[in-house]
Amino acid sequence: MASFAAACRVSARLATRKLQQDGVVRGFRTSAAALAAHNFTMPALSPTMTEGNIASWKVKEGEKFMAGDVLLEIETDKATMDVEAQDDGIMFKILQGDDSKGVQIGTRIAVVAEVGDDLSALEIPAEQGTQSTTAAEAPRAQSAAAPEPESAPSSRSGPPTTSDGTVHKQSYPLLPSVSHLLKEHDVSEAAIGSITPTGPNGRLLKGDVLAYLGMIDANIPSQVSSRFEKASHLDLSNIKVAKAPEPKKAAKAAPAPPPAPVKTLVTVPVSLSAVIEAQRKIQTSLGVFLPLSTFIARASEMANDELPLPKGCQPTADELFNQVLGLDKLAGPKVSRGAYIPQIAAVTRPSARAPAAKSSDIFDLLAAPSKSKKAQAAKPTLLPGASTGPNVFSLQVPKAEERRASVFLERVKLVLETEPGRLVL
Amino acid sequence: MLSQRILGRSAVKSAFKPSGLPSVVSAGRLRRTYATESEPRDLVIIGGGVAGYVAAIKAGQEGMKVTCIEKRGTLGGTCLNVGCIPSKSLLNNSHLYHQILHDTKHRGIEVSDVKLNLKQLMKAKETSVTGLTKGVEFLFKKNGVEYIKGAGTFQDEHTIKVQLNDGGETSVTGKNILIATGSEVTPFPGLQIDEQTVISSTGAIALEKVPKKLLVIGGGIIGLEMASVWSRLGSEVTVVEFLDQIGGPGMDTEVAKNIQKILKKQGIIFKTGTKVLDGEKSDGAVKINVDSAKGGKPETLGADIVLVAIGRRPYTGGLGLENVGIELDERGRVIIDSEYRTKIPHIRCVGDVTFGPMLAHKAEEEAVAVVEYIKKGYGHVNYGCIPSVMYTSPEVAWVGQSEQELKKAGIKYRVGTFPFSANSRAKTNLDTDGQVKMLADAETDRLLGIHIIGVNAGEMIAEGTLALEYGASSEDIARTCHAHPTLAEAFKEAAMATHGKAIHF
Ligand SMILES: Cc1cc2nc3c(=O)[nH]c(=O)nc-3n(C[C@H](O)[C@H](O)[C@H](O)COP(=O)(O)OP(=O)(O)OC[C@H]3O[C@@H](n4cnc5c(N)ncnc54)[C@H](O)[C@@H]3O)c2cc1C
Repeated sequence: MASFAAACRVSARLATRKLQQDGVVRGFRTSAAALAAHNFTMPALSPTMTEGNIASWKVKEGEKFMAGDVLLEIETDKATMDVEAQDDGIMFKILQGDDSKGVQIGTRIAVVAEVGDDLSALEIPAEQGTQSTTAAEAPRAQSAAAPEPESAPSSRSGPPTTSDGTVHKQSYPLLPSVSHLLKEHDVSEAAIGSITPTGPNGRLLKGDVLAYLGMIDANIPSQVSSRFEKASHLDLSNIKVAKAPEPKKAAKAAPAPPPAPVKTLVTVPVSLSAVIEAQRKIQTSLGVFLPLSTFIARASEMANDELPLPKGCQPTADELFNQVLGLDKLAGPKVSRGAYIPQIAAVTRPSARAPAAKSSDIFDLLAAPSKSKKAQAAKPTLLPGASTGPNVFSLQVPKAEERRASVFLERVKLVLETEPGRLVL
Repeated sequence: MLSQRILGRSAVKSAFKPSGLPSVVSAGRLRRTYATESEPRDLVIIGGGVAGYVAAIKAGQEGMKVTCIEKRGTLGGTCLNVGCIPSKSLLNNSHLYHQILHDTKHRGIEVSDVKLNLKQLMKAKETSVTGLTKGVEFLFKKNGVEYIKGAGTFQDEHTIKVQLNDGGETSVTGKNILIATGSEVTPFPGLQIDEQTVISSTGAIALEKVPKKLLVIGGGIIGLEMASVWSRLGSEVTVVEFLDQIGGPGMDTEVAKNIQKILKKQGIIFKTGTKVLDGEKSDGAVKINVDSAKGGKPETLGADIVLVAIGRRPYTGGLGLENVGIELDERGRVIIDSEYRTKIPHIRCVGDVTFGPMLAHKAEEEAVAVVEYIKKGYGHVNYGCIPSVMYTSPEVAWVGQSEQELKKAGIKYRVGTFPFSANSRAKTNLDTDGQVKMLADAETDRLLGIHIIGVNAGEMIAEGTLALEYGASSEDIARTCHAHPTLAEAFKEAAMATHGKAIHF
């Protein structure tokens, strides 16, 4: 029994790693926004595209974005296109900055994290997938990106000119004073982008237009802005430390490392043969191929409904309100919706390929994925880690949720093994 | 092509909520939500004032396991219990009383037999305070914040020992710790505060009878607000201020002069540029010796109550900072970096107990930012854009730089003012004291500072703060439509006057 559990855990890890890889290869166009930090690779914007230039990033490091936000602008030889986020997230690290040229598709260009993730605790996952194959090309792409000299901002006052050659697109409505000045002086729509903005978040200010028109000294707007920039921070210079009384050395004991939370692994064997049969039937009768992930996701969706509460769980705000109003006694059985997503691993997967890990915490693995090249090179499958034969569905949960998790898994098993067709029709 | 692919995807997505591929993170979420007691907390906050409670709620909303330790017995700290909230309750109701006594008659409303029921006035104040502190407690519950009533002391870098208010002791460990212990009244050397005859602001919001003579040491915001309350309720109030201007050094000098004139007309006596030397208590009265700061003749002032309002200082008493080696600066402030970290990186500090203006909204901004730093690695407070409000009648409010600061920095600026006496709404309300004053960069017209005296200055300053935050010029405000007739039109006209000419003046 013990060895069985161990095998499950090992394959669960494998599944995780493979999943990440899957995320890599498909770029950001995956709805599985569930990885703590994952690689965002150069997407293929057309079937024939092999490489592209990154015109500019529209999100900064540390910035949140929402599904539908434009993340970056990519230029190919044919067109310039916006790449939109498919899910909410946070831009953790940009690895190929603005004006990167000739970036191969599949090359890692950024690392993104999930909304709410603790960035301080995240580490950048290793580059995976295409890395080994494009290794030779990578330096070339780098050097191509390098020579991009920025002309120094010209300080002058005279007739309108471009300040520094870069284009500053204003994504907000122009300030009333700005649009008035532009109209008054017949500044063309196209020329607006060449005015250097000095306002907060690149906003174009009245002073910027005055400088552009040569009505004031060209340096003044940036001088004003740098004063504002300075005022926006607490002045922590020249701190004079008070003479402290002798610190008590003894009390400064080493901090106790936080103990690892108690977790258990709940597993259920599930056969996917009924699903595969349904998949085949749908394809032959309707001509639509539905990936296994769809079946499993929908089964999870159903199974997450009305799960028994974990032991000792905190009441929700609604429940607190109901308590205040005395309505809690009228409520029915205590259930709530879960948010479980099972891990899936084929029972037969050879465990030798997984690295022997000391820690059993799956989060370590996520934060610092193994750099095992062999595993990385493996082709991603539609459903990482799954096999058409017997599979193990598992969940790693706090001890208090053991029953909740097993109810969930049993439900998933039931729908997948008996009536998977109903999940999609 | 791209849009097609995206469409295809989103169709699948909307047909089916995005639980996506099998993953492991959801287990982590659940772990966050259902914590067991023995685990270390993600964040332990010492102090349940504005800084502490806002950080606690924010952290709860971010899914962190958070504990807040407060020794007062109620949440909300200085602000809700003995600061902003009770003082504003007294200011509002004493204003109403004063208005009925002195102002409604010429408006055609005659009220006879007006009586002050001080007990009831205080009760109204307490109702507001209790409602708000209980509200915070509810928000704690709602956001899963653990609330420990007791005094916290650092035992080591991760452990806080708590002396429980109900007796007994407990301890909490935290991966992150936030110091939000606030501030306390700065005592006046040689004048013991007993909250009977020599009082602090805490005593001043809870007097049991209206003093005949009240002497206020310190003409800053708190001193002037308290002076207003008791002056309206019938005290003869004298304010002694060491500096040449009232309102504190941050207030624009011209504004300070104007409000002083207005408050003087209301009956408050001012002694600016005057130094309090010492004082003595004798049977229910206090004698204070003062000296003109610029070498005038010394004087003795008598009062039945003296309010010490010379400022507040950071409070770290009993916190045990020495046990972990955290340093204070000369003025007792906890030393931090730009991400609110002390020299021990997982121990951070915000609010009155560290640098920056001692204001509740500043504490609140920092509280949100510090949780974002812990959680996401980035947070932001724009310290150049924090408004100040004095809730006298009329109110005084400002944001950005004052004229004297600009002069000192050698910055060229333009001034535009508009008096409420030329504003139609102020005229209809018969409330025409004050003016809006704007300062803008001489060349770029970018707004640098806004200073308002007026009945609703505290509300009106929000527009100025927004303008400053967005880098607006005075022309941008002037080109924005303001409703008629409103006091806000004075704001717009002051903007017009800054870069051109006002229409109505
Ligand atoms: C009369 C008055 C009027 C004011 N009016 C305004 C106003 O109108 N607008 C405005 O913006 N600001 C105003 N302020 C200032 C405002 O109250 C403070 O800026 C604000 O309260 C600061 O919040 P804080 O959380 O940093 O500190 P505090 O509010 O002081 O809270 C700190 C809390 O920590 C607790 N504590 C300290 N040490 C420990 C410990 N070891 N263990 C457990 N608990 C501890 C204290 O009991 C306290 O409750 C006013 C202040 C006063 C006195």
